[in-house]
Amino acid sequence: MKEIIAFIRPCRMNETKKKLDELDIPSVTAMPVLGRGHQRGLNPILNDIDVSKDVLMKAHVSGMKFVPKRMLVIVAKDENVDTIVDAIVKSNKTGYIGDGKIFVCPTDNALRVRTNESGDIAL
Amino acid sequence: MKMIRAIVRPEAADNVADGLAESGFYSMTKMSVFGRGKEKGLTVGNVHYDELPKTLIIVVVEDKSVDEVLKIIQYKAYTGSQGDGKIFISPVERVLTVRTGSTEL
Repeated sequence: MKEIIAFIRPCRMNETKKKLDELDIPSVTAMPVLGRGHQRGLNPILNDIDVSKDVLMKAHVSGMKFVPKRMLVIVAKDENVDTIVDAIVKSNKTGYIGDGKIFVCPTDNALRVRTNESGDIAL
Repeated sequence: MKMIRAIVRPEAADNVADGLAESGFYSMTKMSVFGRGKEKGLTVGNVHYDELPKTLIIVVVEDKSVDEVLKIIQYKAYTGSQGDGKIFISPVERVLTVRTGSTEL
């Protein structure tokens, strides 16, 4: 059993959910979070990215320290991990910075509260 | 690789973020959460607060950097009174950057 923690763009949420639905892996927990990565947030000077000057003027800022992201938590059977990771990559790849990161962590057990089932059957 | 989840006071979150950035750990995620610890919340007079606002900071680092990150978080989030927070460390098996497909942090 593995826990997949993915950080993706909020606007790609629908596409990701649809893709996972098609694979018959509908269970997912999503949370709005703030984050930054190697590029240290949205920093036009450091990263040489194209943020329109008008936008920056309007917001009275020179960038963003933290960028809003969506955190997905999916606990899946070992054999499904690769499919899920592939699906997330496929539906989130735009080629620009901020596409996100995926972490795969080991998980010991899962328990379904209603029926008291544990292990793979509870997923 | 290890995932470090630190639950700290909301007012200390910026300090921690800046402290980590100074030492070169720019990448992090934060979110506001509600929780309680061993002290079962907070009682002020007759009023009992069951869930206290905290900030959850998630950092994923290489094994060798774990101690350094822990030290920074502890130093920056410390006040000495109850409710300073807790830090959890869990293993990460695999990482993938969506844009480049690289499997390194």
